[in-house]
This record gives sequence, C-alpha cells and structure tokens, in this order.
Amino acid sequence: MSRIVMRFTGVGGQGVLLAGEIFAAAKIKMGGYGVKTATYTSQVRGGPTVVDIQLDDKEIYYPYAIDGQIDFMLSVADKSYQLFKDGVAEGGIIVIDPNLVYPTEDDRKKWRIVEIPIITIAKEEVGNVITQSVVALAIANTFMNAIPEDVLIETMLSKVPKKVHEANLKAYELGKKYALEAMKKQGIEPRKND
Amino acid sequence: MAREVISSGNDLAAQAAVDSGCMFFGGYPITPSSEVMHTISDLLPKVGGACIQMEDEIGGICAAIGASMSGVRAMTATSGPGMSLKAENLGLAQMAEVPLVVVDVMRGGPSTGLPTRVSQGDVAQAKNPSHGDYKSITVCAGNLEECYTETVRAFNLADRFMQPVIVLLDETIGHMHGKAILPDLEEVQAGIKPRKTFDGPAEEYRPYGVAQDEPAVLNPMFKGYRYHFTGLHHDAMGFPTEEIETCRKLIDRLFRKVDEHRDELEYNEEYMLDDADILLVGYGSASLAIKEAIHRLREEGIKAGMFRPITIWPSPEERLYELGQKFDKILSVELNQGQYLEEIQRAMGRKDIQKLTKTNGRPFSPQDIIDKVKEVF
Repeated sequence: MSRIVMRFTGVGGQGVLLAGEIFAAAKIKMGGYGVKTATYTSQVRGGPTVVDIQLDDKEIYYPYAIDGQIDFMLSVADKSYQLFKDGVAEGGIIVIDPNLVYPTEDDRKKWRIVEIPIITIAKEEVGNVITQSVVALAIANTFMNAIPEDVLIETMLSKVPKKVHEANLKAYELGKKYALEAMKKQGIEPRKND
Repeated sequence: MAREVISSGNDLAAQAAVDSGCMFFGGYPITPSSEVMHTISDLLPKVGGACIQMEDEIGGICAAIGASMSGVRAMTATSGPGMSLKAENLGLAQMAEVPLVVVDVMRGGPSTGLPTRVSQGDVAQAKNPSHGDYKSITVCAGNLEECYTETVRAFNLADRFMQPVIVLLDETIGHMHGKAILPDLEEVQAGIKPRKTFDGPAEEYRPYGVAQDEPAVLNPMFKGYRYHFTGLHHDAMGFPTEEIETCRKLIDRLFRKVDEHRDELEYNEEYMLDDADILLVGYGSASLAIKEAIHRLREEGIKAGMFRPITIWPSPEERLYELGQKFDKILSVELNQGQYLEEIQRAMGRKDIQKLTKTNGRPFSPQDIIDKVKEVF
C-alpha cells in the first residue's frame, strides 16, 4: 500500500483527535505503521485544531503531513478549514460539514468538495454529538479504503467506553451510509490501494 | 522479546519511569508535558507509589527531591517555564547530590512563549539551569522508543552519578502518537542499577567523603545513617564549611565525577554516515525531518548523513572533533537560534559550520532541510 495521508480539522474540544488515534492504532495492529500528530493552539476550546494521520506499510520518519501531499481532509470548522485546506493535493477530497464550513467557488474547482452534515448526523440521528468523531472516521475510511472495516470498528470499540458502543456503532454505520451516498452522487470511487 | 505498543512520547516517559521503579512524582502540570503527570498519576498508585500535584513547579521538584532523599526513585516533569522555576532546586540537587529525573518537554520560549508549539530552546538552559559550577547530564529523545528507553537510562544515570538527569523531549515527540517497540519489562527491570549505599557502622558513614571522581553515597534518610543536607559548601558529613581545600575539592569532584566517566554517558546515533559527503547534525524531533530529508536527498544522488547526539550534555566532544576533521560540509539543524551550534563549533574547532534554525513554533519540514543543503553546498 502506498502512503495514505489524511487531515482532520476542527476546533479544540470537538474531539477530532480520537479518529486519528483509531486510524493509527488499527494500521499498527495490522503490522504496518501509523502516526498521528495534532497541532492546536493555547486556547483551551475554540482554537483551530489539526490532526494529521499517516498510514504506511513502510516506516514513517517524519510525523507531520507534508503540505501538498494530503489525499483527504475532513473539516467541521470554517476557520480551521481556511487555515489548513492548502495542504490538500489538487484534486484531493475534502469532506466538510456544510452548516459550518464555507468553501469558495475556487475551492470547488481545485478540490473535490463533499458536503456531509457530520455534526447534525451525530446530534440528531445518533443522538449524541460526541459520536461525530466516529461519523468522521467512517466517512474517511469509506473514501480512503484505508483499513479493513472490521479491524477499524474493533479498534474504535476498544477506545470508547462500553456504554456508548451501540451509539458509536450506529455512528459508524451512518457515516458510511452518508459517505456512500455522496460518492455515488459525485461519482467518486473509493481509493484503490495496491 | 520486545513489546510493541501504540502510545505517545509523554505517556511512554511516564510508563518508563514506573517500569524503572520510580515510586514518586511531584509536579505541576504544564503544556506540553501534562500527559506525563496525567499518566503517571494513574500508574503510580497501582504499584504502591505516589503522585502529588504541588502548588507550583517549585513545590513539585522540592517534593521529588525529598522523596529521593528517602531512598526511592523520584521524578518531576515540566516544560520550559517550569524549568526556569525549578532552576534553583536543580542547583540544590546538584550540590547536595540528590538523584532525580526531570523530564522537560520543550515548547517555544522565552517566558510563556508558545505553549502548544514545538521548540528546542531549552538546550542551553539544560546545560546550566541554575547558577554555580556543576556538570549537567542531559539526554534527548529523538523518537517514540527513546522517550521510553532514555527515561529508563536517565534513572540509572541519576543513581550512578547522584545528580539530576534531564530528559529533553519536545512538543512534537511528546505528543506524537504511533508505534513504538520497547524492550521487555523483565529486561528493563534486570537493568535497574540502584544507587550505592553504605552498609558499614553508622559512625563511620561519610556520605561526601568519597574518591575525587566519585559521587556521594547518600543512604536513605531515617535508617540510622545520619548526615547533614545543605546547599552550602559542605564537608564529608554534609556540614557547612568554608575551609579552603574542602570547597575546592567539592566543586572539582562535582566536575570530575562526570568528566572522568564520560564513556558511561556518551550515546549517539550515526545515520547513513559511512558514505556521506554532507554531515547533518541534529537531535530530538528535528532528526525525524532530517532522516526523511536524507532519504530524499539520496534519491537525487546527494549523499547526506546524520550525527545525532542522544546524550547531549556532556556533549560528545571527541566524536564531534573527529567528524569535523572528516567532513568538509557540515550543517547544524535545530529548533532554536543555534544553541547547540556553539557547542559543535567549540568541539570541532571550526567556525564554518552552516546552520538551519527555526524559532516560530513550527517544526522543520524535510523540504526546509533539502532546500538549505542545496543552497549552502
């Protein structure tokens, strides 16, 4: 598998870190290498946050995503989107929550922008806004085909408290469903990994 | 059998401390080191140890010094502003010869600086955090594994040399999360070298009356071996003195106990140096970008290699001198304005070392290094 580089962005307190840890842990479980780094500001809540995830079969030396080499970004806050979008490779996929992120027309020409109301799904359909990180996890994996679904779900369940297993499984299913619908609508195929 | 874990640098430092037999942590949380305390506060009570959050960083190191004097392995962790606060008591631990491990997860400074951003700006401070003459021992982790193994080594060095040992991490290494291959727990435990104790009659105990290249022998307090503890110049029993020869010999010994045993301290990584034309010198998280850059430079036919000191104080001055003789093209890479560059220049006896520095709280990218190599060589 060639290297997969993903970036999750939001604001502090939204819980964007967790999805990155789950991806890295799942890849490592499979015998590969996964690294997550997070960059945030000294604002406790509300500051722009970015999580970089790199997954590879070969050793990863440098832990941050390199601007211009990011295949996939997911964003649930406009200020973080604006700050970090330029790291995404031209033609790369950016999933945004359309209620919170406002891409320009130029952005839509440069990248394949996909609108999925991540926060609303977590809040209203799952019934727990905290599950947004798992909705995001499912969306990212459906597009990027990064980790076999059973391994990813198993890893995810090992990192969340038992009492919310069911809610998180539901969040995963919903994330996947919305991602598949969006991909069909925009003619995007899941990434092919050799 | 090695252990494969998925963890972060700060968590690994905490785990290493507990695996090394550390029984006490005194500290005050500060970004980006807080996870060390957070994790060890969970781990220590499970092994019968204790973790206490003091009123500030000064209280934290004082509590750890006290715990160490009772005979247990003790630790504190902080970041740059906390190091500044702990400085006075680092000096006390140097003077009274109290073993202690101090983890410093570096962030941008000076002052409160850039709390959540990476820096290597505490390297010069680690050499002489407090006033007075002494020899600092400082190790610097360059990857996740070393956050664990260097903390383990720091505990053994602290007990061997009877002084604080600083473990430098930085925000990148402390917070990065991924795979680490750790030595087996039994291997770590078998490698624990406890500090020396005096077992003879209590009336013959002379804690500071040791050979001129050896550290003090401090028996645990409250076990019948009495001595005086002070930051003042002191005699063989620890009592304050201004006697001329005793004062000279004390400071001379604080130097010689380290200087004459450098072979026990030196630890470096030499990466793709054998056939290299260009020498990159870096340490800590900067070495991650350097390694990536070396691979990419070599794809273009530019043969670069890296020298990375892991024990940064005392510096590997003889090896640096040899490398300075061997390589014409040398670039020093560090996330400060050139704090270690001065040491490299001194050790190599050369002023023509190129430098790449950064102090805006952002990490080096491999491209930064590639561009600099192409620009200057």
